[in-house]
Amino acid sequence: MSYIEVSGLRKNFTVKKKREKGKLFREKEIVEALKDVSFSVEKGELIGYIGPNGAGKSTTVKILSGILTPDGGSASVGGRIPWKERREHVRHIGVVFGQRSQLWWDVPILDSYSLLKDIYSISKSAYEDRLKELTEALQLEELLRTPLRLLSLGQRMRAELCGSLLHSPELLFLDEPTIGLDAVSKLALRDFLQRENKEHGTTIMLTTHDMEDIAALCSRVLVLGHGRKLFDGKLPELLARFDTTRTVSVRYDTEPELKLPEGVGLSRSGADFRLSYSPAEVPTAKLLELLQEAGTIREMTLQPENIDHLIAAMYKEMDL
Amino acid sequence: MRAYLSVFRMRNRMEMQYRGAVLGGILCQMFFGIVLVALYRALYAGRPQTMPIEHVTGYVWLQQAFFRMLLASDPDLLDKIRNGNISYDLCRPVDMYWFYYVRVMAQKLTGSLMRGIPMLVFAFLLPKGWGLSLPASVPGLLAGVLGLILGLMCVCALENITMAFTMRTLDPRGIQAMLNLLMMTFSGNILPLTLFPDSWQKLITLLPYAQLLDGPIRLYNGDYSIADAPRVLLVQAVWIVVLLFAGYALWNANRKRIIVQGG
Repeated sequence: MSYIEVSGLRKNFTVKKKREKGKLFREKEIVEALKDVSFSVEKGELIGYIGPNGAGKSTTVKILSGILTPDGGSASVGGRIPWKERREHVRHIGVVFGQRSQLWWDVPILDSYSLLKDIYSISKSAYEDRLKELTEALQLEELLRTPLRLLSLGQRMRAELCGSLLHSPELLFLDEPTIGLDAVSKLALRDFLQRENKEHGTTIMLTTHDMEDIAALCSRVLVLGHGRKLFDGKLPELLARFDTTRTVSVRYDTEPELKLPEGVGLSRSGADFRLSYSPAEVPTAKLLELLQEAGTIREMTLQPENIDHLIAAMYKEMDL
Repeated sequence: MRAYLSVFRMRNRMEMQYRGAVLGGILCQMFFGIVLVALYRALYAGRPQTMPIEHVTGYVWLQQAFFRMLLASDPDLLDKIRNGNISYDLCRPVDMYWFYYVRVMAQKLTGSLMRGIPMLVFAFLLPKGWGLSLPASVPGLLAGVLGLILGLMCVCALENITMAFTMRTLDPRGIQAMLNLLMMTFSGNILPLTLFPDSWQKLITLLPYAQLLDGPIRLYNGDYSIADAPRVLLVQAVWIVVLLFAGYALWNANRKRIIVQGG
């Protein structure tokens, strides 16, 4: 049996709508957040969980962390059913909700950590070692005595992450952990997560809209849409299915006469050309040859499709 | 157990940070105390009541000194329910009810001691007939202190019930406005319960709100004799059990239907 087993998971929410004129009661609408989701995750995996807003990602995370009770289907983590054996289950997991905070607003973050130590009954020596390790890795040493309210967004996210990992959870849920972070913080955070996963074997389930995060970290992605699982596999495989166009930008010394084959998109301003084409229809070598014959090239770049565009194309094709 | 003690300590420490609020609270409660005392003195000048004026003024000061115990919700907890940070508390290996209960208790206890002690000193210094007099007897004082502790346990259980309703409505204001009116009226904060008609008092003193401060104050000032003490304390204890059970049941029911909205 896998570490996380989810099968046929369902969850509905009831949304009350504004009362319409002439009607006595408000209408209720049942929103099916999860229709039928099944997957399994092995111990030590670093898995990405993606999908457009409202796909049901957070709902899945909330069910797996014991906050919500599903309406149907089954789920187990390390042999435990999260919503039934909540207290035993949550001892072994850590959660970071990118938009929420677990640390106390008005007190130094170190005090929040020592409360977490007592909540998770961490022994003194284990706590000290772990705190040292985490504060070094997340560069928090100088912030420990600062109240949370004085920290910047990036510092706060690092502090939250440290709080969620103090009890060395076997499983870590990250719900949009890089939201609003600058490039340096983002890279540092990715590095840290990778190390945490390698050195401690922590299973990590990462929910994000940042495809760079997924590309950098996750060996496997799950795509969710409209409450259903749409894809489960490696990111390159997913991209290969939608990665059909390339873009070439060329700048000539003088404005050339350019005759392009069918199926190549073109936008130009003076001697600057931007061509988009599909290598399957027009071989790259042939296109380059044409470009070279047309004039003296001063500069040229060849780019793969932007990953966000790919995902957008994928969502579109999957009708999300 | 450690977790609950730890959150108690933490909330205490936080409460002690708000020294400006303490000063403001003391000034506000002193103002109310003086106004109410002047009002009852005017009432007595026109038409003396059976209850001696010293009892009434003492009652007013004790009510004002421990005002923080009655009317203070933890804004952080209510915010957590509103903004969803409660998610984090839901995935801790603790019993949520008690975790919040001790947190509320720390706030009420520390908050009211920090305000109450200076105010009681002030009230003792006022002339007779204006301020607070010494307790009726040493056993009366001890029974009063014990009653105050039970009252604190009672009010925390009430607060947890308010919070349970907030989890359903997501906004504490409606339920708070309603419950606060009941609380202010039937705890004796606006009008000492001792001044209600005797026939009313029979009922009112049995309500949970009378267990918070009215009972302990009457044990202190001798309105309830020592012989009454076991009965008074027993009524308090019964209410604590009832309110704890009711609150716990509400929280459990909430757990099953809880939805943390948004991503």
